[in-house]
Amino acid sequence: MIEWLHDNALWLIPAAPLAACLWIVLIKQVVGRATAHRPVVLALAISLACSLYLLTVLVPETFTHHDASEHQVEAASGTLRTVYEWIHVGRVDVGITLRADAMSALMLVMVTSVSLLVVIFASGYMHGDPGYPRFFAAIALFVFSMCMLVLAGNFLLLFVFWEAVGLCSYLLIGFWYHKPSAAAAAKKAFVVNRIGDFGLILGIFLIWTTFGTLDFERVLADGTLIATVVAENPVVLTSICLLLFVGAVGKSAQFPLHVWLPDAMEGPTPVSALIHAATMVTAGVYLVARCTPLFIHAPYAQLWVAGIGAATALIAAITALTQYDLKRVLAYSTVSQLGFMFMSLGAAAGNEALAASAVTFAMFHMFTHAYFKAVLFLSAGSVMHAMGDVIDMRRFGGLRKALPITHITFLAGALALSGFPLLSGFWSKDEILSVLSQAMHHGPHGTFFSVIYGVALLSSLLTAFYTFRAYLLTFHGEEKFPEEAGHHPHDAPPAMAGPLYLLALAALGIGFLAGPTHFYAGYLHHTPGFPHSEEHSPDWFMMGLSTVIALVGIGGAYAVYGGSRGKAEQFRKLFGPLADWSYQGLYLDAIDEALVVKPLRSLAETAEFIDRMVIDKLVDACGLVPQLLGGVLRPVQNGLIQNYAAMMLVGVLAGLVLVLRTIAYGM
Amino acid sequence: MNLESQLIVGAVLFILGMIGFLTRRNLILMILSAELMLHGVSVNLTAFGRQHGNASGQVFTIFVLTIAACEAGLALALILSLYQRRKSLDIFLWGNLGEPDSVKPAEYPPTAEPPAAEYPQLVPTGHVPKMPASVGTSKV
Repeated sequence: MIEWLHDNALWLIPAAPLAACLWIVLIKQVVGRATAHRPVVLALAISLACSLYLLTVLVPETFTHHDASEHQVEAASGTLRTVYEWIHVGRVDVGITLRADAMSALMLVMVTSVSLLVVIFASGYMHGDPGYPRFFAAIALFVFSMCMLVLAGNFLLLFVFWEAVGLCSYLLIGFWYHKPSAAAAAKKAFVVNRIGDFGLILGIFLIWTTFGTLDFERVLADGTLIATVVAENPVVLTSICLLLFVGAVGKSAQFPLHVWLPDAMEGPTPVSALIHAATMVTAGVYLVARCTPLFIHAPYAQLWVAGIGAATALIAAITALTQYDLKRVLAYSTVSQLGFMFMSLGAAAGNEALAASAVTFAMFHMFTHAYFKAVLFLSAGSVMHAMGDVIDMRRFGGLRKALPITHITFLAGALALSGFPLLSGFWSKDEILSVLSQAMHHGPHGTFFSVIYGVALLSSLLTAFYTFRAYLLTFHGEEKFPEEAGHHPHDAPPAMAGPLYLLALAALGIGFLAGPTHFYAGYLHHTPGFPHSEEHSPDWFMMGLSTVIALVGIGGAYAVYGGSRGKAEQFRKLFGPLADWSYQGLYLDAIDEALVVKPLRSLAETAEFIDRMVIDKLVDACGLVPQLLGGVLRPVQNGLIQNYAAMMLVGVLAGLVLVLRTIAYGM
Repeated sequence: MNLESQLIVGAVLFILGMIGFLTRRNLILMILSAELMLHGVSVNLTAFGRQHGNASGQVFTIFVLTIAACEAGLALALILSLYQRRKSLDIFLWGNLGEPDSVKPAEYPPTAEPPAAEYPQLVPTGHVPKMPASVGTSKV
């Protein structure tokens, strides 16, 4: 039994949700629709168990053998498995290979645990929805794709499942497809993602031509190929990294491709919690972290990563300050936190000693962010559930007495997000700030990173401020319910409350458990190909600074929004046009509309016009020719026998003339 | 009597038959014209037979006449059944195989029907028969 589990736990992780999806699609759509969540919960429980087994038993077995026979060891230990020989043509040798190492194990535990809790929440939240089975089928498919993405052993397989998670995101954002806004948001998400995917596929092509192989083992884990390429042609490595980063920009909603994430809130709240907070958007971070062996040789690309991350963090933080839709605040907050992760990933530009810490803390922030952002979104979902699907904060208030469970869990998540001392966000964000300050002081790009550092501090301050603004507007102030809520808003039922409690506990404690104890860092640095890590002592100054920032932000929010709503409105009016600029997302959506959407639409309309008026008319004209020819010949057949006889006569005469002429010339 | 004049006779017969076939509207007269064409050809054959000094032309003519007789019988049977369908010997009634947008026979002006002649009626002996109005009254 243990032997079987040892060999098969790896492929069970993605296979269980896939089986659940097929089961729902084939059977649950017809029979037992109301219990369609059961296969998915079972499958995700299996996946979580196998992921934990992977994390605790299978992957650590590979740690002790850091020599050339790693491949055999991995194959024997159940962390490398080629499920199917997919493409084996000429020089292309790509199989469906599942490969687990430290980074993927940590990521899988995060993905499966959050997915399980979100699915349990969704079974309560989506109760009574006519599309109930379709929802769970799409979620199961999504978790399958995400697990395969994390476990992919080569770039091509990663790309396939990169697209697959984008597809599932489209299906789930547009879940209520009768709503035009939801359908438009789903389309926008997919199209903007596609732009990023274009960069990613170009990067993959470039990897193929440069390295000759797409396997992670050969490109990333084994350092010899990289060393060869760096010696010969470092520029192509920078290009590869930049193109891969373009893919990450699309998937992880960084500037300028961040416009899809706030609109993606049209989907059901569990979808926002799972896909747009914890799992899909972290695929970009995972990609850049996975390709760390490539990025550390391309400092120019890392500068771009950090720069775009900083820009995104600031833009999103500014925009979140004035939003009235609670889910949008959380969406922009997600974008901002992803910007933090990328700031950290790019912090090692030119400074290889810092690389291990930079990547480690980016991934650690991703890990803690998954939990506290999921609890925030699920609490928002609980609020929506109680308020009759109203999420505009202007329409309700003072909910802390009516919804105590939601209140506590949201507060836990908000404190974690703001970086309140000793909670999970504190540990991860604080470490990112310390990495950035080290880049500023010790790296070759000091001035650049000082700007980045300043942006990071400002974004942290704004994060604390807008998070508690949302908290206060929702849960404090005078009690107000919208009409859709009915008489008594009911708090979360057990199916929803359980995951909320668990995630809140994770939001509070997981940072402490995994951060200062160096469990996360120590585990992650066993990833093959990871740069050598240095000792990282706790940065007390940075801890103090981030505590101060968090408290100032929270205090500022209390000062403005703790009182009456009127005072808050006055505060907003104080900023006048700046508030509008912030509310409209820095007019970036409008700029996109004017610079990209309108020209493309007029191009499409022109093309359609040419197609209809020119090409179709040409085809019609070609069709007219036989008609004209027929029109000339048709009157010949008029049914009058004497006309036919006359034509016979003409033919005979012609034949006669020909024959006589031939005879005459012959004579 | 040289060859050319015999051939001219044959040609004239043929041409007349041809013109008659192509221009007449009456079914029976069309068949008549076709027979005339056959006769013209027979005259031609006989003339050439005489020129070559053998009887092949005349033998062929006998064949032609035989065939013409059978053909005339068949043609008249067909005309009879056609007449019984439409009660008219006009060939332009049978133009249904033509395309809808071609000139229709109905557009040709129908030939003027001669007015039904009024014939005098037979009366018992001794009485003066009533004369039709078209005939002038006679003084007899």
